[in-house]
Amino acid sequence: MSLISALENVHQKGQFGDYEDKDENSLLKVSELKNLLIVQVVQYKNSNNLIDKLIIDNLKISNNPLNVSNNENTRILWYGPRNWLIVSKNKKIIKEIEQNFSDKDFAVTDLSHSRAIIELEGDEAKEVLKKGCPFNFNNLNKNNCLNSIFNGISITVDMTNDKPEKLRIFALRSFGESLYHSITDACLEFGYIGK
Amino acid sequence: MLYIKCPHCGMRSQNEFSYGGDASVKRPELNKEISDQEWDNFVYNRKSLRGKHWELWQHLSGCRQWIKVQRDTATHEIFNTLKAEEEIN
Repeated sequence: MSLISALENVHQKGQFGDYEDKDENSLLKVSELKNLLIVQVVQYKNSNNLIDKLIIDNLKISNNPLNVSNNENTRILWYGPRNWLIVSKNKKIIKEIEQNFSDKDFAVTDLSHSRAIIELEGDEAKEVLKKGCPFNFNNLNKNNCLNSIFNGISITVDMTNDKPEKLRIFALRSFGESLYHSITDACLEFGYIGK
Repeated sequence: MLYIKCPHCGMRSQNEFSYGGDASVKRPELNKEISDQEWDNFVYNRKSLRGKHWELWQHLSGCRQWIKVQRDTATHEIFNTLKAEEEIN
C-alpha cells in the first residue's frame, strides 16, 4: 500500500509566530511523523494468557497505566486495561506481533494508515498542550502516555523525551488537519519551526 | 472544572467522560418471568434523586472503560469511583 501523508496538504516548513530575535534552538519544532507501524492489541476478557510473558521487539508488555515500554525503534503504549498501542519504525515486527498474539486471546488491528502524528519538540511543548487539554501535564514524565482531548479532538500523547521535551501527538487521521491547525495556533505565541 | 478519578487512569477532567445513567438499576434475571411493570421500571422509570447517587460514566476520551461514580446530584461533589465490575457496597 502506498503511503500518503496525513498532513501533506497542511504542514508547512519555515519559521512562524513570535520567532524573531530568538535563538533557533529555543524555538518549538513541529513536524509530522510518518511511515510508522501502528498496531492496536486488545486482550479479550475471557483470555487467561499472561501478558507479562509476551515479548515484542525485545520489549515486555507493561500493564502499568500510562507507562510506555520502549527501545530505539519500538514503543508500546498502555492504551487502557488489556489494551496497548505498538508504534514502531521497524515494520518487520508485524510478523512477530501476529505470531505472539493468538487469535483466540487477542484482537490485533493494524492502524498504520489511520492516524496522523504530530511531533512537538522544545521546552514549551507541554505549555502548548496545556492550552487545549485538561490533563495535568506537570504529572507527565518521560516515557508516559495518555489519552485525552485537545480542543475537543481525541488525542493520544506519548512523551518520548524530557530534555528537551519531545511529545508525539496521535489523532484519528481525519482529524489530523484540524489538530494540526489547533497545535500550530497554540505554538504561535512561543514561535515555532515547521520541520 | 469537575474532576473524576478514573479507577484505571487517575484524576481526569469531566470533559473526557460521558454520562451513562443510573448505576443502581439491575437487569432482570435471564429466563425469569417478569411483569410489564418490572420491564418498564428497568427500561424507563428512573428516580430523580437529590443527594448521593451512583452513576455510570464512560471514560470516552481516555481508557474507554465504563466506571461507577458516586456523585451528589445537588453539589456535584464526587465521593467515590469504582470499576464497572466492582459491586456497590
